[in-house]
Amino acid sequence: MNFAQIVRSALLTLQTQKLRTALTLFGMIWGTASVVFLLAWGLGLERMLESGFTRLGKNVVHAWPGKIGEDFTPAADRRELWFTPAEVEAVEKGVRNADLVLGESRGWYPVTYGSTLLTRDVRGVEPRHMHVRGTRIAAGRAITRADVGSRHRVAVLGDTARQKILGPEGRLGATIRILGTPFEVIGFFERVGTQLTRDADEIDEQVWIPITALHGIRPGRGADREVIDIVVLRARSRETYDDLKTEVRSILARQLGVSPDDEEAVIVMSPIENLKAMPIDQMRGMLFVLAVTTLGIGGIGILNMMLDSVQERRQEIGVRLAVGARRRDVVGQFFLETLVVTGVGGLVGLGLGVGLCALLGSLHAPDVIPLPILRAWIVWTALGVMTLVGVLSGLIPAWRAAGVDPSVTLRAE
Amino acid sequence: MRDEATRAEASTPVVSLRGISKTYASGRVHVEALSGVDLRIDRAELLAIMGPSGSGKTTLMEILGCLLQPTSGEYRFRGTPIQSIKPDGLARLRGEEIGFVFQSFNLLPRLTAVENVELPLSYRRIGRKERRSRALASLERVGLAERTRHLPSEMSGGERQRVAIARALVNAPSFILADEPTGNLDTRTGADIMALLHRLNDDGTTVVLVTHDLAVGDSAKRRLYIRDGRVQEHAPEEWGPR
Repeated sequence: MNFAQIVRSALLTLQTQKLRTALTLFGMIWGTASVVFLLAWGLGLERMLESGFTRLGKNVVHAWPGKIGEDFTPAADRRELWFTPAEVEAVEKGVRNADLVLGESRGWYPVTYGSTLLTRDVRGVEPRHMHVRGTRIAAGRAITRADVGSRHRVAVLGDTARQKILGPEGRLGATIRILGTPFEVIGFFERVGTQLTRDADEIDEQVWIPITALHGIRPGRGADREVIDIVVLRARSRETYDDLKTEVRSILARQLGVSPDDEEAVIVMSPIENLKAMPIDQMRGMLFVLAVTTLGIGGIGILNMMLDSVQERRQEIGVRLAVGARRRDVVGQFFLETLVVTGVGGLVGLGLGVGLCALLGSLHAPDVIPLPILRAWIVWTALGVMTLVGVLSGLIPAWRAAGVDPSVTLRAE
Repeated sequence: MRDEATRAEASTPVVSLRGISKTYASGRVHVEALSGVDLRIDRAELLAIMGPSGSGKTTLMEILGCLLQPTSGEYRFRGTPIQSIKPDGLARLRGEEIGFVFQSFNLLPRLTAVENVELPLSYRRIGRKERRSRALASLERVGLAERTRHLPSEMSGGERQRVAIARALVNAPSFILADEPTGNLDTRTGADIMALLHRLNDDGTTVVLVTHDLAVGDSAKRRLYIRDGRVQEHAPEEWGPR
């Protein structure tokens, strides 16, 4: 029996009972589409979370001062700690597992423009901050070394901050006031998107000014104004996070004269740790199991249909054996027929799943809604699982078919 | 040497049964369908095995056709003991040496006439073109050259039986087993089918008819009677003089 005849026989099996076929194929189509969709959606969710957690900056580690821990000093003596440019310089010189080290000063300050008065998250930065945070200029220019060196009173606004402070008519060159001091708006950031982890406001809401300019207008006197609120580092790789944290805490503790084991005195955190804490692998595993189970149920439908087919075609099997078919020819025929039936349902399901993913993937949804991301490995996985289901569904009917006794079936006729 | 070999082959019976018994067991119940059957069928014989329903003739036909193994006894097909042949070898033997014609035709309803006839060839690694040409030739031989593309459901009983005979012939078997070949046909069509089987026999094919139809049996060159699982040369008395 050649392959074309087997395909035709399989298609005739499908035609024999249309309702049974429709229900069986629906199971297979739904199952295969589910595998494609759920795997693609799981990938989309993972990417969405990763993207959301890294919008604060890729491979970013933050270190900020706290209080001396209770285990290291009497409760009454627990004093607040702070960083100065000297600490930033010490970290920059001593650290090996980071390629960028920056000091950042910040505060919630009143920002006015015309009649608009808002309290904004104002960041005192230097040019390299853009490399760490991954921000890009949409219009105008960024803060330069010259701006920092000369304490230029210039500001770059996040996308949302621009709309809220300047309104729709806001232009580059506008003058805003921060703590009553005029600043020229020299640039706007591209929209960063929703941050699933953040310190204070999202970048889109922030106002960036040269760190020296912030020190110049901050309340306080002398060195108090030059306090560094946070040390921002960019790790050389995610694998070295733990080493970097130990390294940074050790340097800063030495600078501040506290114990390197005091995790309350120098707090070191990374946004990626929040991502690592998410049970993403477990969730994707669960989605995979769910999808495979759905496809497995479709496979059971096919198994049932093919068992019916073997029962209905016992006479045919008897005739085939009588005219020279070997048992393995019969096994091969029913096995291939099952694979063809599985293939018909599976390929339709694959097309449906791919189409659905492509359709949803093309939508412009908010960046906190995961959309399916289709990859070749997902299609291959679906094909693999589909084939496995087809093979498993085909074994029992084929085995049953091979067990038919021609003397019984031919005599029954 | 070659002549001797040919003579030896010619003298070897197509079928040789010695002490063949077949017992069906169902739980504790044992039914002896055949008992001590001895039988020799020579080349180009036209033999009718006759008997009433339940006499064991279908069991005998199934053993002759290698579809069923006897419980005891020895069956030799052209000198080779069947019990020594493995299942794949038996399948090849059925496909190449034995042609089956059934009372109910046993055509596959999903296949056209020519595809039904091709069926035995499809298990013999024969190319598609040759399969088709041999199947068409076989259909032409039984007078169905015009009905090759029809499904069994589109054919009359006589035509279906002709297709079944064409299928039995397509591998040029040396031995045709026909089980009640006219059982589902009207008298005239039955006569046509019998004429066809006689022609095949005249061409040198050994034909065994298994039937309870006296007219069919009477047309054979040799008749054997089977009753309660035992084969005898003479008709039972209740059948009248034969």
